Formats: sequence, structure tokens, C-alpha cells
Amino acid sequence: MMYDSSINASNEEALRLNRKALSQKKALKVGQYILAIGVTLFMIFPLYWMLITSVKSQEEVLLSIPTFWPQEWHFENYTNVFKRANFSKYYFNTIIMTAGILLSQVVTGVLAGYGFSKGKFKGKNLLFIVVLGALMIPLQVTFIPLYIMFANWKLTDTFLGLILPEVVSPYYIFMMRQAFLSVDDSYVEAAKIDGMGRLGIITRVLVPMCKSTLITITLVTFTNGWNSYFWPKIIAKNETRRVLTVGLVHLRNTFAGLDTMNNHEIMAGAVMAVLPVILLFFIFQKYMLTGYEKTAMK
Amino acid sequence: MKPLLSRKNTTQFKDFATVLPALFFLGLFVYYPVVQVVRISFTNWNLINDNYKYVGLKNWIWLFEGSGTKYLLNSLKVTALYTMGELLVTIVGGMLFALIFNRISKSFSFMRALVFLPKYVAMSSAAVVFIWILNTDNGILNYFISKLGGEKINWLGDKNRALLSILMLTGWRTIGYGMMIYIASMRGISKNYYEAASIDGANSWTQFTKITLPILSPTTLFLFVTTFISAMKVFQSVDVLTSGGPYRSTEVIVYMIYKYAMVDFRMDRASTVAVLFFIILLVITAATMKVSNRSVNYDV
Repeated sequence: MMYDSSINASNEEALRLNRKALSQKKALKVGQYILAIGVTLFMIFPLYWMLITSVKSQEEVLLSIPTFWPQEWHFENYTNVFKRANFSKYYFNTIIMTAGILLSQVVTGVLAGYGFSKGKFKGKNLLFIVVLGALMIPLQVTFIPLYIMFANWKLTDTFLGLILPEVVSPYYIFMMRQAFLSVDDSYVEAAKIDGMGRLGIITRVLVPMCKSTLITITLVTFTNGWNSYFWPKIIAKNETRRVLTVGLVHLRNTFAGLDTMNNHEIMAGAVMAVLPVILLFFIFQKYMLTGYEKTAMK
Repeated sequence: MKPLLSRKNTTQFKDFATVLPALFFLGLFVYYPVVQVVRISFTNWNLINDNYKYVGLKNWIWLFEGSGTKYLLNSLKVTALYTMGELLVTIVGGMLFALIFNRISKSFSFMRALVFLPKYVAMSSAAVVFIWILNTDNGILNYFISKLGGEKINWLGDKNRALLSILMLTGWRTIGYGMMIYIASMRGISKNYYEAASIDGANSWTQFTKITLPILSPTTLFLFVTTFISAMKVFQSVDVLTSGGPYRSTEVIVYMIYKYAMVDFRMDRASTVAVLFFIILLVITAATMKVSNRSVNYDV
């Protein structure tokens, strides 16, 4: 209504509206920040609670009004875990199992990734479908015959028994094939002219050019191996080759009759079981976050 | 002519040799066991008595018309409920989180990493933490509930709440995954759409339902299929939190297979359920593929 009377006034009105819009936008931004921080705290709370409980004393754990910061720090809970359960053995078993899975999946995955992308042989596409088809067959379907087979081969409670069903990952092959396909054939041809063999081409041309995919997928393989539970529980029931994930649950179940007792020590065990993966997560954050995005974008 | 041909053959063979190890192990540890599991489902094999013979459809009749039927129906029901729950958390929750956390800044990227972190926490560790959080007398969750004036809840021991408790644990681990996938796809949407829409006077809700959701439909389908299949296979959280109880209220199908095989040593019955489970997985995957070709928007 003041539009005609004075340009000055309308300018002021526009400025006021503009300021209002800006402050609204700012309020929205602040609101988003508060919401995001709240949600993050909520999501991280279980991990915080695990960590805090793991350094409390037994009395403090059982207080009717819980404390959100330990009154005293009891780091001996961690050494107690090693005394109560064979945790160093579980660690050792987990490391060997994970290393075995990692090594074999990298070797078979990179090799097959090369064959299915740059290789030329009859039936290549059909065989690749066979590989992808294996993605549709979960261990939860095949574990019974596998267990019988491994028991016949005397592979229960052995490292081979833990590792063998996981030596090949169709997912790993698929991802490496995709990565190698993105490398132009001319690089491979040039390397061939230089007299490089297949292994040379793979290790000195293709792998360096696809380093980030390789790191990402290998990290996924590592965490999957380290965190695996279903198969280790079936094939390595006894103490000798028990892994961390199974051992931790076992540790809890031996205390289960006392239920709330010893929760601080169980939490200490839980912290130790997840620590390597969480450290890797923060070191390789870039790769570990993109790993899942890559699979989604394909 | 001849040496040339044989050289071509050697190249072919050497290329083939690179995929041979993978094929060998997949054949031995994936495809061969599938054949075996079908075969065992027609025998009376249990681990206690190593002699077995073929019994025809006996196990299948046990499963569909015998004493196994009610356990099968129960497991299918529990698995379906669980799967719906995980789908809801991953897709709806993941979308909500994506909207909250989709801002380009250092602090937001740090917060996103923290929200995504539970995915990498081993299920067994996460599960013992949740057992402690959900503890009836000393658990922190019941402490908060009683602070707010509620009654202490028996989370894991009550057959009406046990499945919900498992979903809290698995939801905590997957919601950040849904968020990351959605954010990655949202980044790919051109700003032009939103600018054009706001010039036309569309509010943010209209923009969300008319632009964001349709463009993200392939992502939603991807999440749907992958979450569906992984949810059908749920085992570990059930094993640690409730062992299928109380009163089989959390006995999902994989737990049923596991129990028959590794607790009762009834390899015959366990294999029969496993074969059925495999068929269900295949049918569902085929069905979603078919639907995806029709109803998902790939235009953008």
C-alpha cells in the first residue's frame, strides 16, 4: 500500500522482509544443528555407556541411580577379563582367521576381477553369472552340509575350518571387476608391449590405478571377517579356536546366572573386541564411508 | 597356422586360470552344499546316528502337515514382523536422518560418521551392550523410563517385547547405513529442480514429495531389496539377545534352522527348513526385480 507513496519506504520494507527471511533461515539452521547434535548423542550413547561401564567398579554399576561419569576409574576390569576368560587366545584366533580371510579374498578377488574384466576366454559372461549367483546363496542355507563336510575332513576347531568357506567373496570379485573395467584397455596393451605378464599388469598397472576401490573393499572384508559370528560359532565351538565375538558372548553367558553381576567386565571385553575396527574406521573414514555409497551408486 | 592357434589357446587358458581359484572354491563351498542340502532334506540324517537312508517326502510332510508346521508358521510370522520392522527403520528412519544430516560442513560430516559408526561395531559387542542397557532392574533405559514416571519394563523376557528389543539393536546399527545411502543419492540431485519448483511456488513439503522422493526411488528400491534379504537372514542378534525365546516369540527362520541342526542334531529337518528358506529368498528376489522394472523412476 505504500508502494506508490515513496520508494524509500518500500525499500525499507523490502529490507525488513529480507532480514526476516534471513533470520528465519538462520533459525532453521540453528534448529537443524540442535536436532542433529541431539540425534548424534542419542546414537552414540550405547557406545559411551559401554565405555563408561567398563571402567566402573561393580558397586557403582549396581547403584540404583546410575552415574554418567565414573566415580573411580577401574582399569583393572580390563586385565580381569584376561584372567577370567582366555581373551588373549581369542584375540590370537581372531587375528589369524581375519588375516587368512583377508589374504585369500584379496588374491582370489583381484585375480578373478582381472579375468572377468580384461581377460578373454570362452564362457566368460556365463561364468561371471555363476559368480554373481553365489551372492544369492547365503551361508545360512548351506551351513549344514558344510559343517558335515568339514567334520568329515576333521576341520572343526581349526583355522582352516574357520577360513575356508570365506576364501572367495563374489562381492569382492564384482567390485574389482567394475574397477578394472574403468581402466582403459590401452594401458593394458602398452604394458603387454613392454613385455609385462599378467601378474605384472595386475600388480603394477591395474591395482595401483584402482587403489581406492581396493582399499575400500578390503576394509569391508576386514570388518566382516573380524566381526563374523555365525560360522565361527558353528565350526569352532571349543576354547582352542574360539574367536572374540563368540568368546564375548560365551563370557556373558557364563555370568548369565548372576545377570547384572560383572557387567563392567563384560563391557570391558566388548570394548576390546570392537576397538580395532573402530580405530580403523576413524583412520580410514574416507574409504569406509564411501564403501557403502559405492555399492549403492552402481 | 597351428602354432598361432595354440598360442591363442594358451592366452585363453591363462586368462581362464585367473578366475579358476574363485570358481573352484565357489563350486566346492557354495554350489555343492546347495545340492547337498536338498539331498539331505530327503533323508533321515541326524548326527547321532551316522547311518541314514532316503525317506522320500517324510521331512516335507513333517514340515507342512506334521508337528513341524506350527513352528514353521511361527518362524515365518516372526521373520516377517522383524523384516517389516527393519525395513521401516532403514528406509523411513534413514530418510529422516538423511534430511537432518544433509548439510555440507565439517561438523555435520563428523556427526554423520558417528551416526554411521554402529554399523561397524561387531554385533556381538553391540548385543551385550544392549542386554545391559535393556536390563530390567539396572538398565539405563528403564531408569530413564521410571524417571519419566513409567513402570520398569521387562524388555527381553516378555514375549510381546522381545522382538521389539531386537529391532532396537539392529535398527541402531542399520539406520546410519540408510542415511548414508540416501545422502549419497541426494547429493546427485540437481539444484535446478528445487529452484524451478520454488519459483512455481512449491513449498518444501511439496518439493520433498514431488521431487526428492521420486528421484530417490531407485535408491529406495536398492535399500528395500538389500535390507529385505539381510533382514530375512537375521540370526546373530536373536542368538545373543534372546536365543529365540521367550516361548519362541523371536525364533526367526534362520534360528529355527540353526536349532534343529546344531542343538537337536536333526540335519534332515534342519535341511528341509533351509531349502524352504532358500526358495523363499529366491522368489522374493525375483519378485522385487520384476516390480523394480515397472514402478521405479529411472528417468533422471
